[in-house]
Amino acid sequence: MEKIIETSALTYAYRAGSSKEVRALQNINMAVHKGEILAITGQNGSGKSTLARHFNGLLTPTSGRVLVNGLSTDDRNNIGEIRKKVGMVFQNPDNQLVSSIVEEDIAFGPENLGLPQSEIIERVDWALHILNLEELRKETPHNLSAGQKQQVAIAGVLAMKPECIILDEPTAHLDPRGRREVLESSLRLNREEGITLVLLTHFMNEVIHCSRMLIMDSGTVKVEGSPREVFLQGDEQIEKLKQMGLDYPVASRLAAGLNREGFNLPSDIIHHEEFIASLCQLTS
Amino acid sequence: MELTKNITLGVYLPGESAVHRLDPRTKIISVTLLIVLLLLARSYLAFGLVALFLAGMVYIAKIPPGYALRGLKPMLPVLILMWVFQLFLYQAPGTATLFQWWVFEATEAGLHMGNLIIMRVLFLFSVTTLLTLTTSVVSLTDGLENLLKPLRFIGIPYHELVMTLVIALRFVLILAEELEKIMKAQMARGVAFDRGNFIQKTKKVFPVFLPLFIGAFKRAEELIVAMDARSYTGGKGRTKMKTLRMGRVDFAAAVIMLVFTGIMIYIFTAFKAFI
Amino acid sequence: MPIDVINLSHSYKTGTPFEHKVLFDVNLHISDGEFVGLIGPTRSGKTTLAQYLNALYIPRQGRVLIDNENTADKKADLVSIRHRVGYVFQNPEYQLFAPTVGEDIAFGPINQNLPQEEIDRLVKGSMEMVGLDFNTFCHRDIFALSGGQKRRAAIAGVLACRPKVLVLDDITSGLDPRGREEIMKVVKDLHLSQNITILFISNSMDEVALLARRLLVMDNGKIIMDGPTREVFARTEKLRSIGLELPEISIIIDSLQSAGFNLPRGILTVDEAISEIAAALHLREGHQ
Repeated sequence: MEKIIETSALTYAYRAGSSKEVRALQNINMAVHKGEILAITGQNGSGKSTLARHFNGLLTPTSGRVLVNGLSTDDRNNIGEIRKKVGMVFQNPDNQLVSSIVEEDIAFGPENLGLPQSEIIERVDWALHILNLEELRKETPHNLSAGQKQQVAIAGVLAMKPECIILDEPTAHLDPRGRREVLESSLRLNREEGITLVLLTHFMNEVIHCSRMLIMDSGTVKVEGSPREVFLQGDEQIEKLKQMGLDYPVASRLAAGLNREGFNLPSDIIHHEEFIASLCQLTS
Repeated sequence: MELTKNITLGVYLPGESAVHRLDPRTKIISVTLLIVLLLLARSYLAFGLVALFLAGMVYIAKIPPGYALRGLKPMLPVLILMWVFQLFLYQAPGTATLFQWWVFEATEAGLHMGNLIIMRVLFLFSVTTLLTLTTSVVSLTDGLENLLKPLRFIGIPYHELVMTLVIALRFVLILAEELEKIMKAQMARGVAFDRGNFIQKTKKVFPVFLPLFIGAFKRAEELIVAMDARSYTGGKGRTKMKTLRMGRVDFAAAVIMLVFTGIMIYIFTAFKAFI
Repeated sequence: MPIDVINLSHSYKTGTPFEHKVLFDVNLHISDGEFVGLIGPTRSGKTTLAQYLNALYIPRQGRVLIDNENTADKKADLVSIRHRVGYVFQNPEYQLFAPTVGEDIAFGPINQNLPQEEIDRLVKGSMEMVGLDFNTFCHRDIFALSGGQKRRAAIAGVLACRPKVLVLDDITSGLDPRGREEIMKVVKDLHLSQNITILFISNSMDEVALLARRLLVMDNGKIIMDGPTREVFARTEKLRSIGLELPEISIIIDSLQSAGFNLPRGILTVDEAISEIAAALHLREGHQ
């Protein structure tokens, strides 16, 4: 499978070399594949965000390497090209919007790329359209809900036509509708525009929509696999995840509970619909 | 408690009025011209005319007058202090004494100076506020950048200069919001900001600043990282979605400004004696 | 200590072009010892209402009575009201302002001019209530704490004012699952063992389902639902129409009911759901 991002023996320490050195990432070998949705989860302080910031060269490794489309993030000359390919949306929508008008904010990225005017306009229109934000184009972000602001932030990144978008806990501070809308638009970008997504999240009901997941703990990747594999029922596995501060998705917990009661449901249920369908099958 | 309510500087009030539609360069040049006129003005007549002119602009821009004046409210204590200082400390030989108290002596010249200075500050503030109320951050940036372009010949990074200024302006509101939150958090834990004498009140304000600055730095840092991630590398190689174009409104504005400046210069010279 | 809100209305940025009304004629009574959840979309007025309850806002239209004391009364002791009704902000860790944990927590009691031994006792007591060991954390630098610890320190700071009522404004947002669980446990303990009345505002339906016995739903500045949590979450359509989700368990139970399973309404925990579903399945097997 084609890799967009690849890390090899990536180690990162804050204040490297000083007496206060803090190892944040330890020998990480992983990749983001073209077209996938990769969830990265783990407790606060496990290193997810630090890892994600290596994907577009906001941080560079203390040792090891990160390649984006074959270009090393270590070389400052590559950074421009890398940031074009890999966009990033942050947790707090208030602190990432630059302009006081929605459409101007979305234009900020394309303007930085030095695109011709007609193309900037085209891209802004396109991004507004894809995220259904056309009606808000003249609004000031100040008047939008947190969820809408986050959609504007995604549009701003989308307008740079990246191959891959990193979403760093984009729903952490949103209300339920905001969370759902941001998740749905992100999934749509993957499905319809073929954009690779890396989603950092604490919510297992978001993780289950991803094609692959990593669990990080103390600066290392502890678990890797599809959500179905990771959430496979088994006491050992449940204990392991619990130790990393994570829970199973609700449908898995229900299925596991019923199986303990002597029923025979598949052991790899993660989605609600699967759970309901298999219950119906059981009784038909 | 609501602090942000009284902050107008740095706020953009979206609208479609003629003032809003003006090319930002026209607005910036006009504002600069007004500032120069204000610095030169020494008579009540001159300030009166500026007041009329500004009132006209507020009307055309469809800004509620009460709102336009609101931003002055937080400045009042400082202004009053300035006025009192001038009143007692400015001494000019040969002017009449208004009244005397202990070692202080208020003179007519002092009164005039005090009045002039607060009017000057009020109008300077109003003019700038009017600009930010009717101009979005981006068009303000574009306009300033365009005008400051010649600076590049002497090696001044004009784009970065403008960006810094504009973001600083944006942070006025953010800081006020942050300040409100922190003050509320401290009120929730028993600080009564509204109790005690001036010194006690001032002392209470200090613990507010530590979290305020930490919060501001955190926000600023996040914004920088977000800009960085969107390939911002300064002005070099940047293009614009909107090109600035002067239109008929701008021509009209230029005529109005020229006439107004003419009148003001006439007043400056003709009424020199009218201090 | 009862709380009454009577015909309360509030406008934000009054007198500016940005003026908008955020509370419309809100009426609310909270009795002693209740655990009330408050949910609603962003900008529905939750935070504004909450800030009225500890006199951070003083009513201009309507009244707020704390222990039968009108907060708008000129003689009302607002400082004492604010101590009796503690308020923990969203992201409270940003409002910590002393260099060490102990000093920050002592801030409230110092403002009350209490004797030093009393202050020490309160600091220690509140730290224990939130599960921060006094000896380990008292002199620790605030910046050296993890996100969850900072949040618990912030709650301790409010507890040190000895509140009878606690208003918790979305205090779990941004935390990881373990952090959330810890905070929820702290809140539960405060209610049960310290007998503190709690108003718990949250964006997480699952948390509210687990904690609150009574649930308020706000939308557009009005309280549109008020009742036992199970009953409120049974009104699926209404909640969805204002953009709120159901707790995940309720979503699944709901779909099972539509698929013909005979399940009781108002199931809110995984364990309850498992036993009820198991019972329903056994019943079906019995019939077959």
